[in-house]
Amino acid sequence: MSTLTVESTRFGTLELAPETVIEFPAGLIGLGGARFALVTTEPDSAFAWLHSVDDPSLALPVTNPWLFFSDYEVKLSKGETSRIGAPEGVDPEVWVIVRAAERPEDFRVNLRAPIIVYNGQGHQVINEAPDAPVRARLFPQLVTQAA
Amino acid sequence: MLIITRRAGEKIMLGDDIVVEVMEIVGSTVRVGIQAPRAVPVYREELWDLIRAENEAAASAAPDEVADPFARVTTV
Repeated sequence: MSTLTVESTRFGTLELAPETVIEFPAGLIGLGGARFALVTTEPDSAFAWLHSVDDPSLALPVTNPWLFFSDYEVKLSKGETSRIGAPEGVDPEVWVIVRAAERPEDFRVNLRAPIIVYNGQGHQVINEAPDAPVRARLFPQLVTQAA
Repeated sequence: MLIITRRAGEKIMLGDDIVVEVMEIVGSTVRVGIQAPRAVPVYREELWDLIRAENEAAASAAPDEVADPFARVTTV
């Protein structure tokens, strides 16, 4: 199959294999967008970019929440669970959106509205678990050190 | 904006698939029931707005060269 070409405003020309494209039936909350792909700029990076296929200027950095929050928990309502459609016992991929800043201690991560990827589809969902803030510090230890 | 007056127990249809029902009115609080196809997410507006703002901020805050600060920090 031929690749999809995106002229990314951040990364220049991206060649995406069609099977890496994730369909977002409801888009990202407030941003829309129907098709995204996970793009990595460095092979060993903890971070990836959720890059829109249709809007070359729309990309959000994401990470695996358990790399930073080992006790992170995702609890979904019945409605959200049925939207994802994963059978019981199957753990879909989970990503959280990173809000970058100039100083690492100001980096934030949205634990309240993670992105669930299953079967080629992506959904930004509301996490009902307690202690899942919208703007958690990604590196709280840096703040402690500075204080 | 369309404004419709409803009593408890009455419903509103949004298209053929979405039903909004006024379940109960107690003082200044209204309990609303919503039936929607599973592909349609339903949010409380204030939470939707908070997450929308955070998504927009994440999309615009990220510098083009975000790999460097990330790499530096993750090796700490």
